[in-house]
Amino acid sequence: MRIGASLPLTGEFSQGGADTQRGYEIWAKLQNEQGGILGRKVEMIYKDDATNQNTVVSNYNQLLSNEGVDLLLGTQSSLLNIPASTVAERAGMLYICASCASPEMFNRGFKYSFFSQQAMASDQGATFADWIIGLPKEKRPKKVAYPSLDDPFATPVAEGIRKKLEAAGIETAYADTYPVATKNFDAIVTAIRDSGAEAVVQGAQFEDGVNFVRALNRANFHPEILYQSSSPTYGQQYVDGVGKANTEGVLFSSSYHVDADTKGNKEFAARYREIYGGYPPEDAADGYAAGQVLAAVVEGVGRTDDQKALADWLRGNEVETVLGKLSWNEDGSPRGDFLLGQWQNNVSEVVLPGEAATTTRITRWRGEAF
Amino acid sequence: MTTLLQLLITGLLVGAVYALMSSGLTLIFGVMRVVNLAHGAFAVLAAYLTYTVWTWTGLDPLLSVPIIVAVMFGIGWLSYNLVVRHVRGSHISMTVLVTFGIALTIEGIAGFVWGNQSRTVRTSYTDTSVQIGPFFLPTATLLAAAIAVALLGALFFILNQTWTGRAVRASAVNESGALLVGVSVKSIAASAFALGIATLGAGGAIIAVMYPFIPGTHYQWIARLLAIVVLGGLGSLMGAVIGALSIGVAEQFATQYVGASWVEIVPFLVIIIILIVRPRGILGQKLREDATV
Repeated sequence: MRIGASLPLTGEFSQGGADTQRGYEIWAKLQNEQGGILGRKVEMIYKDDATNQNTVVSNYNQLLSNEGVDLLLGTQSSLLNIPASTVAERAGMLYICASCASPEMFNRGFKYSFFSQQAMASDQGATFADWIIGLPKEKRPKKVAYPSLDDPFATPVAEGIRKKLEAAGIETAYADTYPVATKNFDAIVTAIRDSGAEAVVQGAQFEDGVNFVRALNRANFHPEILYQSSSPTYGQQYVDGVGKANTEGVLFSSSYHVDADTKGNKEFAARYREIYGGYPPEDAADGYAAGQVLAAVVEGVGRTDDQKALADWLRGNEVETVLGKLSWNEDGSPRGDFLLGQWQNNVSEVVLPGEAATTTRITRWRGEAF
Repeated sequence: MTTLLQLLITGLLVGAVYALMSSGLTLIFGVMRVVNLAHGAFAVLAAYLTYTVWTWTGLDPLLSVPIIVAVMFGIGWLSYNLVVRHVRGSHISMTVLVTFGIALTIEGIAGFVWGNQSRTVRTSYTDTSVQIGPFFLPTATLLAAAIAVALLGALFFILNQTWTGRAVRASAVNESGALLVGVSVKSIAASAFALGIATLGAGGAIIAVMYPFIPGTHYQWIARLLAIVVLGGLGSLMGAVIGALSIGVAEQFATQYVGASWVEIVPFLVIIIILIVRPRGILGQKLREDATV
C-alpha cells in the first residue's frame, strides 16, 4: 500500500514538517506491525516541498502520476495544504490533512479533503474565549490585544477569539497582523502596552511566539493573561526559546495531550520516546492521527480504488484516534472542540474542558492562580 | 513624544545589527559584482556555530564572536575559491544562481547536522532591558549594537588605512587600474569575499542571541539585507549603514504609526521612491553599465 505525502522538510515550516513526518513514520511502523492495511504493508513515499506553494503542487502531481501511490496524506500547514488539496481534488483522491485548520480549506466546495483534528482554526480558541467570558467580572479583562501572524491558520484563531469576546462586551485594545519575516516585536509590544490591554491573544506559529514573549519581557510588560496559538505546543523547544519562568501560565489551544486516554496513545507515545526521545510534539501526534483516520476509512470501505466511497465513509462515521474521537461535516471540516492547555511548573497541562483536564488550577501569566 | 523616541532608539539599535550583516553583502558586490544570495544562509550558519560553541563550552555567545569571525573567514575563503571564483566576471544572473545554490546547500547541511528544529541561545541578558528614564534599551540589542559599531569601525579602518583595504577599494573602483599598479585582484577578491563573510559571522553570532533560528530562516534575512543594500546603493559600505539604520527605524515607525501589517511594505515603498529619484541608491556608485544605458 503506497501512501504519498509531501512535507516541508526544509524551509520555514521545516520544524512542523519534520514533526509531522515522525508521526507518519511511527504510524506506518505500528500499522505494519499489526499487519498493515487490508493485509498489505504500508510504504510511505515522501517528497520535500521546501515550504513552497508551487513545489507542493508539483510534488502531489508527481506522487500521483510518477509514483503511482494508492493513497495520500496531507502536507503541513494551511498555507501549503490549500494549494496541495486542489491537486487531490482534481484527481478525485481522498486527502486527509493533519494541519489544515484554515477556514479557506473548506469553503471551496471540495469533496475529498478532510481535516484530522478536532476543530477549525476559527473555533480553536473557543474554549479559551468561553473561559474568559465566564470569569467573575472583577477578574475578567476589560481590554484585550490581538497581534497575529499574517497566516491562514494563525489569524483565524485570534479572530475567532476576538469575535466571541467582543460579543461579550470585552473591548479590543489592539488588533493587527504582522508579516512572517517580523523578527523584532519591540514596537508591537510598545503599541500593545500603550493601548492599555490587560490580556493578550497572539495568533502565532513558533518563532514569532518566542520573539513576542522575549519582547514582552524586555518592555517589562506582563499582562495577566497571555494566550498564544501553536507556539507553546512545541514542547521543549518553546521552553528553550522563552525560558522556563516565562512559560508559566501561558495558555494555548491543543489537539493533543501525552497522557490522554485515547486510542493508541500509549503505544504512540512509547514508540516516540523510544525512537526520538522525549514527549511527542503536537504535530507528530496530529500526523499519527491522520494515519489512524486513513487506516480506519480504508478498513471501513475495504478497498482503495473507489476514493469517493472513502470520502463518503468519513462523512458518515466517527474515527477513534490519539486526539480522541473525530467526525466531519459535509465539507470535510471537523465537528469537535479543542483542549485548552496551560504551562504550569514546566509541564504542559490540560485545564479545560473539565472532563479532559489534567489539573483544576488555572494561573495568571507568570503569576498566581485565578 | 516618549513613544516616538523609544521607537527611534530601538530602530537605531536594530539598524546597527542590520548594518553589520549587510556590510559584507555590499562589500562583496562592490569588489566582484557578485550578488551573494547565500548571505542570509551564511548568517544562519554562523548562528548555528555560535549555538554549538555555546552548548559545548558555555562560552557567552557575544564573547565567541572572534572565534566565529575567524571560522567564517575560512568558510568564506573556501567558498570563494571552490565555487564563486568560477562565476566571477560572468553575467550577474549567473552569480545569483550559483550563490542561491550555495544557500540551498548550506540549508541542507544545517538541517542534516543540527536538524530542522528551532535552536536558540538564551543568556542571562536575553530578556532584560536597561531602563533609562521612561525608555527601555533591550540589553542584548544594546550589546549587539555596540559590537556592530565596533566591528564596522574596524572594517572601515581596514578598508581605509591598510594596504589590503586600499587594494580592495581599488579593485572595486577600477579592476584594470588595480591590476596595472600591481594589485593581485584575484587574491584580493578572495580576501574581500572572506572578509564579507567574516563580518557576517559576527552578525550571525549576534542574531543567535536575539532570535530563534532554523535552517530556513535565511530566506527572511536575505530579503531584508538585499533591501538594505539596494537602498544604500550596491557596493557602498556607508550606504549600507545608512540604509540599515533607515530600515531599522522605518520598521519600528511603520509598526506603531501605520500598522504591523505594513512593516514590510513601508521600507520597500521608501526604496521604490529612492530608486525613482536616485536609481543607484543613496550612496551607490555609477557603474559602467549604467553609463551605457
